[in-house]
Amino acid sequence: MTHHHNDYDVVIVGAGIAGAIMAKQLGEQGKHVLVLEAGTGTDGRFFDQGKEQGYESYMERFFTAMAKIPNAPYPNNPNAPQPLVTDIQKPPLDKPVSDHGYFVQYGPDPFASTYTRSEGGTTLHWLGTCLRMLPEDFELQSRFGRGRDWPISYQELQPWYEIAEQHIGVSANADVQNYHQIDNPSVQLPFAENYNYPMEQIPQSFLDQYLAKGLQGMQVNIDDHTYPIDVVATPQGRNGMPRGDYRPVGAVGNPDLGQRCAGNSNCVPICPIQAKYSALKTLEQAKQTGNVTIETQAVAYHLAVDDNTQNISKVHYKRYHSTDSAAFEDKAVTGKIVVLAAHAVENAKLLLASNVANSSDQVGRNLMDHPTMLTWGLMPCKIGAFRGPGSTSGIPSLRGGAFRADQAAFRIEIGNWGWSWPEGAPIATVPDLIDKQGLFGPALRHKIAEEYPRMFRFGFLVEQLPDPDNRVTIDDQYRDQLGNYRPVIHYKVTDYTRAGMAQAKEVSDAIFQRLGVEPFTQYKTSDPGYVQYQGKGYVYNGAGHLVGTHLMGKDPTDSVVNRDQRSWDHPNLYLVGCGNMPTIATSNPTLTMAALTFWAADNVLNALDQY
Amino acid sequence: MYRLSDFYRLSAALTGYEEVELQGTGVGSVYCQTLSKWVRQDVIEALYAQAEQIGALDNDASQARFYDQIWNSAKLGPVARNIIKMWYLSIWYQLPADWNALYGVDDFSADKQPVEDYVISSNAYIQGLVWNALGSHPMGAKQPGYGTWAFPGDTAKTHNLD
Repeated sequence: MTHHHNDYDVVIVGAGIAGAIMAKQLGEQGKHVLVLEAGTGTDGRFFDQGKEQGYESYMERFFTAMAKIPNAPYPNNPNAPQPLVTDIQKPPLDKPVSDHGYFVQYGPDPFASTYTRSEGGTTLHWLGTCLRMLPEDFELQSRFGRGRDWPISYQELQPWYEIAEQHIGVSANADVQNYHQIDNPSVQLPFAENYNYPMEQIPQSFLDQYLAKGLQGMQVNIDDHTYPIDVVATPQGRNGMPRGDYRPVGAVGNPDLGQRCAGNSNCVPICPIQAKYSALKTLEQAKQTGNVTIETQAVAYHLAVDDNTQNISKVHYKRYHSTDSAAFEDKAVTGKIVVLAAHAVENAKLLLASNVANSSDQVGRNLMDHPTMLTWGLMPCKIGAFRGPGSTSGIPSLRGGAFRADQAAFRIEIGNWGWSWPEGAPIATVPDLIDKQGLFGPALRHKIAEEYPRMFRFGFLVEQLPDPDNRVTIDDQYRDQLGNYRPVIHYKVTDYTRAGMAQAKEVSDAIFQRLGVEPFTQYKTSDPGYVQYQGKGYVYNGAGHLVGTHLMGKDPTDSVVNRDQRSWDHPNLYLVGCGNMPTIATSNPTLTMAALTFWAADNVLNALDQY
Repeated sequence: MYRLSDFYRLSAALTGYEEVELQGTGVGSVYCQTLSKWVRQDVIEALYAQAEQIGALDNDASQARFYDQIWNSAKLGPVARNIIKMWYLSIWYQLPADWNALYGVDDFSADKQPVEDYVISSNAYIQGLVWNALGSHPMGAKQPGYGTWAFPGDTAKTHNLD
């Protein structure tokens, strides 16, 4: 059934994971939903395995791309531009601004994360990590005097976590993920009795097993407290072995593919067989309800407000015809309820451009990410680098603890792909073996065979606090070719986070020493993310975890949405996505965002009953 | 296919792979054509001839001759190194500007030189020798199967779910 009118029960802006979940939940209850997506659709590509137009065309783009960055397989679109990691520079000291790429950056530190503007959103290239937040993450202010408290607790979110895990199809074991085995009560997670994930945990890499053995019994000291160092499998939105009757969603449109992760070692930027969850799977389920229409190439740019009710009366958008031209048609649509699901930065931009939902002056503020510090080295023996999913385990022991009063917590990710992140290995490093070391023939082959399987790296996802000065704003000077605002970003990494980075480096050094890892970590002053703390230099990277630009709270004067994720200012406006999260803590935010979105969808359904 | 066989013989010496292994990749002729596209034929012939004269690199003396007459030659060295990079990484890197001025293809018009480094083809990426050399598979292709990453990397163990 197609809905032909120009007014809908619900208009959703954004066809990423949050918009997709919202659309599916509402469509299944018979609500008429329109999803506006700024980027292009897949033109059926993800449903068709053909080479010219099908999914393989994305693989072709990836294979032949010189820079295999997260957005490499996905065509660039000047009508819905997106940030690229190759655009990131240190904001220059001699100029007020760095506007290389889509973001306009004022610094003083560069904001290093990116996202994808396309149907499916950033789940097209996410890693699939599906960690829950800790109970104490929801109470940072009352427990540690830092950041903010959430208006909801872990216990309240727990049932929604379960729904999100079942929907995404997370592979993990609950009796491992409750961290009961870690001797640090701060990180232990209560799971509902008898609950388990839909699929068994993905096998841990040989490297994980090697580390687990080598680090057994290891402890570190922070502020006179002793903390353990434990290697634990990471829950992943990637198909493993199903429990019971559960059957994972296969590749979109082709259930024969994507039933199990096959070890393509390419989760970011693109899984060739779609064995990793992407929002396209949820969008397909939403479409199958017959109640959901997705309009792509439709960039929402203004929300009109009814002066009497304060409701959002219209969503104005520009519908462009192709990515080759800036020509567009100006359109508007009405929904009883409007949901913004356009990603933390784009949601904030649209709210600011429309001057709505901002009575608290918090829209765009409190932008957070996980500044991610890497350390890398050579293991004393071959640990089989460059195989399997990007990361299958981590060290979560320092995700929480009393030290959070003074410094950031962090999660340690164990990378399975050697030095690919810090050094671009092997593609970027082999030329040096030839040009600088003069290797060729059997000596070259031998060097690669002996050294590359020993390559090892950690990633430290360091907590960042909500800071009102870290913000997305808009400026009339900076617009894209459709005349829409580009995000203008002010960002800095404070001492709280820097102290966490320093602590993380100390932990890394202790682990390297214990295992006999030959260190190769180098933090160059020329790196865009170079920062100093107490006289020592560190480098952070972006994690792609953009959080906090329209956060939820108990008080309308200092938050943008309430616990229902409804705007304090506009009764029919709901915001979803990581922008709602008041703190980022140490878990990758997608699972929490998905759980919150299932909750928000329930709230929207209840609200629709009143219309 | 006299020149292709020369190309394989030289490539085997440069890469450390047997000729039969190189032929098995299926991309040797594409690399041979790529070489001819960007390097003057007389330079390529000189490289083959020099390599032929040195012969097998099985002793210190022949290796010293190789370094002296090919690797450290301003004319032949950059070409030899580009051939290795093609095989390992499937990328054609631009040759240095001063080299190009002397030994690039005869036509010096701008479109006769690549404006940037490029991946030769998607199949070439998949056949890159570096993945085999490091004991794995090209990222995004030749998938080894569920759970294989849990096995030690340098054993011959294959896909086994038990």
